[in-house]
Amino acid sequence: MRFFSFHLMPYIGLDPAYDGPAWVTCPNSLFDPRHGGELYNRYLDELLYAEELGFDGVCVNEHHQNAYGLMPSPNLMASILARQTTRAKVAVVGNALPLYDPPTRVAEEFALIDCLSGGRLIAGMVVGGGPEYYSFSVNPAYARERFQEAHDLILKAWTTPGPFEWVGKHYRIRYVNPWPRPVQQPHPEIWIPGAGSVETMEFVAKHHYAYMGIPYFHLDVFKRTFQMFRDACSAEGYEADPLQAGWLVPIYVAETDAQARREYEEHLWYFVKRLLPGITIQPPGYTSARSLANILKSAGTFMLNVTDWDEIVAGRYAIVGSPDTVTEQLTEALSQLGTGNLLGLFQIGSLPGDLTRRNLELFAHEVKPRLAAEFPEGSPVFRPTVAAA
Amino acid sequence: MPTVLHEERVNAPLGKVQLFRGGAGAPLVYLHSAGGEGAGLPVLEDLADDFEVIAPIFPGFGESEGIEEIDGMDDAVFHLLDLWQELGLVAPAVLGTSLGGWMALELATRYPERVSRMVLVNPVGIYLPDAPIAELFGRSPAELAEMLFVDQQHPIAAAMHAMEEFTGDVGKEVEIPIELVLPMWKALGATARLGWDPYLHDPKLRGRLRRITAPTLVVAGARDGLVPLAHAETYAAEIPDATLAVVEDAAHWLPLEQPAKLAKLTRGFISSV
Repeated sequence: MRFFSFHLMPYIGLDPAYDGPAWVTCPNSLFDPRHGGELYNRYLDELLYAEELGFDGVCVNEHHQNAYGLMPSPNLMASILARQTTRAKVAVVGNALPLYDPPTRVAEEFALIDCLSGGRLIAGMVVGGGPEYYSFSVNPAYARERFQEAHDLILKAWTTPGPFEWVGKHYRIRYVNPWPRPVQQPHPEIWIPGAGSVETMEFVAKHHYAYMGIPYFHLDVFKRTFQMFRDACSAEGYEADPLQAGWLVPIYVAETDAQARREYEEHLWYFVKRLLPGITIQPPGYTSARSLANILKSAGTFMLNVTDWDEIVAGRYAIVGSPDTVTEQLTEALSQLGTGNLLGLFQIGSLPGDLTRRNLELFAHEVKPRLAAEFPEGSPVFRPTVAAA
Repeated sequence: MPTVLHEERVNAPLGKVQLFRGGAGAPLVYLHSAGGEGAGLPVLEDLADDFEVIAPIFPGFGESEGIEEIDGMDDAVFHLLDLWQELGLVAPAVLGTSLGGWMALELATRYPERVSRMVLVNPVGIYLPDAPIAELFGRSPAELAEMLFVDQQHPIAAAMHAMEEFTGDVGKEVEIPIELVLPMWKALGATARLGWDPYLHDPKLRGRLRRITAPTLVVAGARDGLVPLAHAETYAAEIPDATLAVVEDAAHWLPLEQPAKLAKLTRGFISSV
């Protein structure tokens, strides 16, 4: 098992009088720049602390014009982390390729981070969330096509000596010849986040990349998703490696179950009720009819529909409790999902800095070693029968 | 006595085109809106008493194929020219609603000789800074119904209200069968290919309106919640031979809500010129 600390860098302190969506149209007058600067520094420190505590890597991601996650350019954050960490992987999960024009910008910036970190970058590539297509006016009907072409261009830029000419449908570049080039050869490890689109799973399986399940669904949805992904790998003629899958989940550890809930619950509801609304909008043409059916099957279990703490626990929307409880629930869930990467969200919603740091410490000292022993790297993680026993 | 339209398939270069055809007389082509309407439209059955009415469904809507090859109004216009060819049409009269009105305008500005008369109902296609077109995308069916109809009891409006919950939002629990939402999902996806950015307009179109030679009637719903009246007024003022008719008690989907009035206006206009 590889352990990552993932940060969304949310906006804490959203005006209580505002009750609209946190995305696209959430007025930016509600963003206080000085407070924002404090949050950025605090959040970076929390990621650096994760490395100090022995996590295998840290993760940042990209979102625009919203209060849910304040990293319009995760590459800026990743470059700071590349410089200030020494050992951990720096995972950018990911760059929303269709929003970069030309996408050789991604090839350049990722290569720069890989150079700066001495080859520790994990290069995430993502289609981009629905709200991003409203915020950028990039045509969602071409989201998949642009993602595909941008991906092909970036990979070629990393693996074929330049200069060469690129003539595609969406991008035409006379001289592709990015300086710098990545340290990792032939290219950095690639992760692709997905929310259940069949096309995305097939794409990841075909290229032997890693599939990251986008969170906030009931555990049953992830079981189905990762089974579909393993099936997609089988269809490509190979068995999926556990390291080809990652599960992103909010985690909170305290001394006891009761204390964990007491400290955590209000901050989780801030996330669910204030920061999630608006995230799920699906622009037209963004999802194929084939995938719509699969995605709608999961829609009802999305965390926005959850209003009750018992549902949070039962659906494993967040893993919250004492070290024993968290270890036990994660062991069971990971056995059912088969994912070899655990991406923990140790800060969520309005969770303050002191609780976030203690959460990281308790996890690192009391949970992580037990999970590492349970799931040694290189051995299978998917053990549905063990979980049932 | 309305004339029933029959469903047909025509092979066009981009794929099979579903179309509805009926009546006899001079050809009148109906170009539908972003809703993809065509089957069983009373206004078309009414007009088929006097015209050969042909209502092709655009690629990506209904069962017509070939949307993968359509990347903008250039492609849409060439598709229409291909269809004219397949159907043996030289310069038919064209009745276009909203998105279909925009396509008619793109055709008539580029190939004025391929359209003999034009009736445009609440067309989109131009940008007016002081009268922007409202947001079509990301709306629930109930919100759309409010923009499209005056009478929320109209059967189609009522059906849209029944689907109120569905926005395509992956985070909302909806109890609506996929068969019911898929046509709308496809229609909006196809519309996005043409009108997501620039939003439901072609920046070049307004400057080209002067090229239109077909006598044109612009019909506007007085209570259109999507396209402000200023758009119809602009077309009527800037298309060389155009007149404006404003229909009270109609919103954006005027052909569905006021079929008799539109049929009468269309019939009167085409026979008068």
